Amino acid sequence: MKKLLALMLALAMILSLAPAAMAEGAQEPITVTVFRGDPGDQPTEDNKIYKKIEEELGIKFEIEFLAGNLDETLGLKIAGEDYPDLFDGGNSAETLENAGALIDLMPYISEEKTPNLYKHIYTNDRIKQLLNDDGELFIIPNYGINYNDQIQNECNGPAFFIQKQVIAWNNYQVPKTLNEYFDLIERFLAENPTNKDGTPYQGFAILCEGWRHFCLINPVQHLMGRPNDGEVLIDVNDPGYHTETFIDKPYAKPYYAKLNEEFQKGLISKDTFVMNYDQYIAALSSGVVLGMFDQTWDFGTATDSLRASKMYENTYLALPLVYDPEYVDGKVIEEHYLNGAVMNKDRGFGISVNCKYPERMVQLFETLLSDEWQKTLQWGIEGEDYYVENGRMLMTKEQYEQRSDAEWKRANRALAIWESCPKKQGTMDDGNAWDPGQQPEIYFDQMSDYDKEFLTACGKKTPAEFFNPPIELAPYGEAWQIDKAPIDVDYNNGFLPIQDRWLPTIITCDPSEVDANWDAFVAEITPSAEIYSNFMQEEVLKLVEQATN
Amino acid sequence: MTAIRQKAPGTPGKKRGFWYTLGKQYQLMIMSVPMLLYVLLFNYAPMWGWLTAFQDYVPKKGLLGSKWVGLENFRFLFGREDFLLSIRNTLAMSVINLVFGTVSAVVLAVLLNEVRNRTFKRTVQTVTYLPHFLSMVIVVGMAQNIFSSNGSVNQLLLSLGLVKEPVFFLGKGEYFWWLVGVINVWKEVGWNTIIYIAAMTSIDPSLYEAASIDGAGRFQKILHVTLPGIRSTFMVLLIMNIGHLMEAGFEIQYLMRSGMTMKYSDTIDVFAILYSFGSSKPHYAYGTAAGMFKSVVGIILLFGANRIARALDEETLI
Repeated sequence: MKKLLALMLALAMILSLAPAAMAEGAQEPITVTVFRGDPGDQPTEDNKIYKKIEEELGIKFEIEFLAGNLDETLGLKIAGEDYPDLFDGGNSAETLENAGALIDLMPYISEEKTPNLYKHIYTNDRIKQLLNDDGELFIIPNYGINYNDQIQNECNGPAFFIQKQVIAWNNYQVPKTLNEYFDLIERFLAENPTNKDGTPYQGFAILCEGWRHFCLINPVQHLMGRPNDGEVLIDVNDPGYHTETFIDKPYAKPYYAKLNEEFQKGLISKDTFVMNYDQYIAALSSGVVLGMFDQTWDFGTATDSLRASKMYENTYLALPLVYDPEYVDGKVIEEHYLNGAVMNKDRGFGISVNCKYPERMVQLFETLLSDEWQKTLQWGIEGEDYYVENGRMLMTKEQYEQRSDAEWKRANRALAIWESCPKKQGTMDDGNAWDPGQQPEIYFDQMSDYDKEFLTACGKKTPAEFFNPPIELAPYGEAWQIDKAPIDVDYNNGFLPIQDRWLPTIITCDPSEVDANWDAFVAEITPSAEIYSNFMQEEVLKLVEQATN
Repeated sequence: MTAIRQKAPGTPGKKRGFWYTLGKQYQLMIMSVPMLLYVLLFNYAPMWGWLTAFQDYVPKKGLLGSKWVGLENFRFLFGREDFLLSIRNTLAMSVINLVFGTVSAVVLAVLLNEVRNRTFKRTVQTVTYLPHFLSMVIVVGMAQNIFSSNGSVNQLLLSLGLVKEPVFFLGKGEYFWWLVGVINVWKEVGWNTIIYIAAMTSIDPSLYEAASIDGAGRFQKILHVTLPGIRSTFMVLLIMNIGHLMEAGFEIQYLMRSGMTMKYSDTIDVFAILYSFGSSKPHYAYGTAAGMFKSVVGIILLFGANRIARALDEETLI
């Protein structure tokens, strides 16, 4: 391992010497090195959008995508101080900030020099939430800054999911509580144990691997009627924003006891607890998993491949389930899965300390944030990728469909840059949606016939109508975004692994042992849960104070 | 290397200087330069990094700027239950690997040695050592399929009536060590055999003839000629493997671990990775300290085994 590490470092050093030879000039052509903290496809050599950027802005990109484990890759880059110019740390970008790999952007942003960026981060007092304790800003959020109205056609975040065919089988009656949900899957399975090919259906899958274990450990807060705050439940009606971990509380037990019950009935396969992400996606893509708790973006590839094989009845409907009153002292819980727009804080491009032209990079963000460039990046070139009719931006079926073709994307979209750059979402001043997929005309026209009929039969116009409208975003944002670095050993090497270990045990044990196992679990997790909830309480209050001052 | 220590040939009785010998053997010197560089670059140079084990290491501040904390990191490690468990897991899986690996390799080598049909022997050899070249990712992927609850092993056990319901091989911590042992045997048995087969070919055939004349049967020949013939190879390999006892592997455990098995799956290397890179504030120092502890114990084990072998008047390494 050490040898491999050293070899990689040596290689990285050699590679990083190459672009350093370029000097900064006014608009001199430069090559910018880019790292993306997600896997991705390299664009083609003659990609039309990158070509346009190169011609008009004189910037050429050399993009490296994540291959392998994110935390290890970032760790190696930090250890060797081998930073690209534009550095996207993916889901672990805090690591880069803590290591001092990124520069503070605030000195480069002003109303005169960067009007677009200034408006982007100062409107609605956003800046209060973005700056850290030292008044610095390292990363402008890649998503979650909306202009004008926000269009929500579907739920893109956490939910319980169920195959559409199950709902159709149930005469389009949709379950609303945990018991109704599992009851429906049970009844469906009793009548349809296998699919057409004779492969047995799996009632409910739980992904437990790595950081994606939110599928296992997060549902309780939603069943209690809150949007995604990570691993804590926050009382927003309490002026003190009472914050507590929920997993060790009595109201979390019914969910895992219920899963145990369903496990005994055979709805949950043992293999689900040792499955990795690829195996999970493969299972979903084959259409045999009837339900799961997840977040829509987490299994997008499975949805795409189900659609590509025209297995529309196996695609999923997102449901906002809550606890049945019997689990919470007879209280009726109102669901709140959809939250107000959340800025994706600390996610996106930062400019590394090794970058020789930080000014120019900020100007790049600024230019790309202009309306014309945003249209180019999100919609493409008018006449080629979309057309305009009566002021509405539209796409033909062909134009829309090619957008999900990986090869076409490599040649015609600058995704690697666009995804991590600051961007406009919501609607343009003229009412068109910034994201073509959200433009209502396109969303409905391009929906498969199955989905159209499905929604009509359910009496809905969009999948989002199954949910309550988004609630107002709490002043602290969403608590999962809080960086846990100060308590990371108690959190990453205590609080989380204890759940990884115990929850599957509680779900799979003999029903008579559930109580004893639950008590043992609570006893073991309490110390780290206390440290974690105290920390989160402080951080939440700090954020609230920042936002309201 | 031994050649360097030899006296220059052709000058009996007369002592020549070190430089003379060096000049005389310049070809050997040139040939050894790449190995020397390799060892210096990959084995000695990174040892600078060991200093971070005694620091609150922050990459931004560097080796010189980080705060020195003495043995604090080691104190932290030995205060963590999961580190102590990782030592146990490392040793357990190592011993299982060592025993399974050695026994399977010796048995297969002896069996192959008895085969007189060359084509058959070659085929078996090739088939058994091919998995050595497979990436662990692929091997673990296959194992996960084979040992899953509707995988082939469970189907076999069910159809033979040995179990009533599928065994949850991958989710039971207690099975994890043995599973690693079995997978390692499957992957490495052919490879490990090669060296024993080579040792067997160097056994003087006249010994077998003499044994036959004395009336020894096939099993007696194996027992009294073949096995003693590979004894010195066996001892050298054993001592080397004992030196590697703290290296139970990393890839297989890291790829196959899950929440349900983590108390049994995490070796010192996995521990080091989880603590070094597992959070938004990497603790390189914990990982380094764990790795350093592992290396020091490894060296002690190596010299210990060597000493015992010497005391028993067996073949030694050093």
